[in-house]
Amino acid sequence: MNCKAMEEKLVLDLYGELTAEERAAVEAHLKGCPQCAATAAELGRLRAALDARPRREPSPELLVHCRADLEEALDREASGWRGLIRSWLGMAPGQPALRAASALAVLVLGVSLGWTLRPQLAGPGAGSNGPMGAWTGADLSGMRISGISQVTPDPQTGAVRITLDAERRLTLQGSLDDPRIQQVLLYAVKNYDNAGIRHDTLELLRNRTDNPTVREALLYALRHDPNPGVRLGVVEAVRGMAWGPDVRRTLLEALERDDNPGVRVAAIDILTEHADEQVLPALEQLAREDRNPYVRLKCTNAVRQRAQEEF
Amino acid sequence: MDSTCLELIGRVPAATPQDELGHEHALILQAQRGDRAAFEELVRLYESNVLRLTLQFVRSPEEARDLYQEAFLKIYRSLHRFRLQARFSTWVYRIVVNVCLDHLRRTRHRREVQPGSDNPNEPEFFQALPEERPELNPERALRSREIAQRLEQALGRLSPRERLVFELRHYQGLKLRAIGEYCGTSEETAKNCLFRATQKLRQELKEIV
Repeated sequence: MNCKAMEEKLVLDLYGELTAEERAAVEAHLKGCPQCAATAAELGRLRAALDARPRREPSPELLVHCRADLEEALDREASGWRGLIRSWLGMAPGQPALRAASALAVLVLGVSLGWTLRPQLAGPGAGSNGPMGAWTGADLSGMRISGISQVTPDPQTGAVRITLDAERRLTLQGSLDDPRIQQVLLYAVKNYDNAGIRHDTLELLRNRTDNPTVREALLYALRHDPNPGVRLGVVEAVRGMAWGPDVRRTLLEALERDDNPGVRVAAIDILTEHADEQVLPALEQLAREDRNPYVRLKCTNAVRQRAQEEF
Repeated sequence: MDSTCLELIGRVPAATPQDELGHEHALILQAQRGDRAAFEELVRLYESNVLRLTLQFVRSPEEARDLYQEAFLKIYRSLHRFRLQARFSTWVYRIVVNVCLDHLRRTRHRREVQPGSDNPNEPEFFQALPEERPELNPERALRSREIAQRLEQALGRLSPRERLVFELRHYQGLKLRAIGEYCGTSEETAKNCLFRATQKLRQELKEIV
């Protein structure tokens, strides 16, 4: 076996994935090859270093929170449109509710000749004989049902009246300088519940910090976003911003209140570059009182660095 | 049920008693018929292992909670597709592994250096951190943190699939055959992935190894 092929065998051997025969072949090779023997030793040290990484075990508190979250999510499943469809059709959970919704739509089309689908609820007297609505069947197929609030059969006409909320997926494309694009992105930063989307949005906006609205949105995210990864991304964007009282104030707030040490450390780095009479007292206080030892160390170093610069 | 998989993921005895298997099948059938309590009991059987696995890929308790919920909701919504002839644990962990892989793909470009939160009001995230006495040796504490950061950075530079396979093999102790099953691929592909990941880590960490 040549040394190139031996590299892969050594890795598999490290994890006990070789057969007895393969293992014997490896050992025989190592006896006569100092280079591969050195590689094997290096892999052993690598494994030891990786083993030193702290193991993450779920705490009882985290498990309790997870269970509570799941409980709520299952309740929402039962009471949401999926659950409504299932209970109406007598289906068990897990059966595809969307298929049922499609079946329901076909049933409605088959029973009634005059059903309408309008963006607003129809008034009294508007029944199955009313005119067709703005959306046709083809448009319905492009819509997604987000909620059904009423299903009412009419025994006289045989029609079924369904009141539902439907949404259509849109794709927007344009320049980041387009105010409409910016409006959607700013909405995503402040309101969207997916941290990945918020992070991606902030990454797009970080080159537009000269726009006052974008600047305000980034600083808002640093103060309020619940995800520390997002906040850390924002701190990096803030580094490229023009310095001002709003930036200083937001970074000082992050320094004092953010519960993620990584965010606080990043804020220290930026504040150190702009250390002035307002920043130094905050750094000195944190150097004494912050609960995280690494943050205390960074603040201490920042204060010392500033003192040396003044000399 | 695959005893190797159960042994290494859940640290449960290698042999699964037949009555436990029967109990699990009964729960699955009840849950498929809409019995919420049966589904929640199934969750209890797997939740610790699922959470332990997802914790390897997240940076905060909130993300762990998100992945836990996402995984079990997917299991709940697709339970009707499970056939009792298959191994339930393999089916569950395949869903969980895909959730983790999606998470890694979404978060890949974020910075990796994020110490855990130490908010006293937040649930304890890490339970097994080594004890540190920075007031006695701050340089050593700082060095340990730097090494830990380098490790996290190196792991963060792996591709999502490489990171997943490596974490499952090295930290969860799964065999490559099981990893291939959970990732919907072959054992050979999992081997190649492990090899690439290890080579990258060797390169990244050669200064500290």
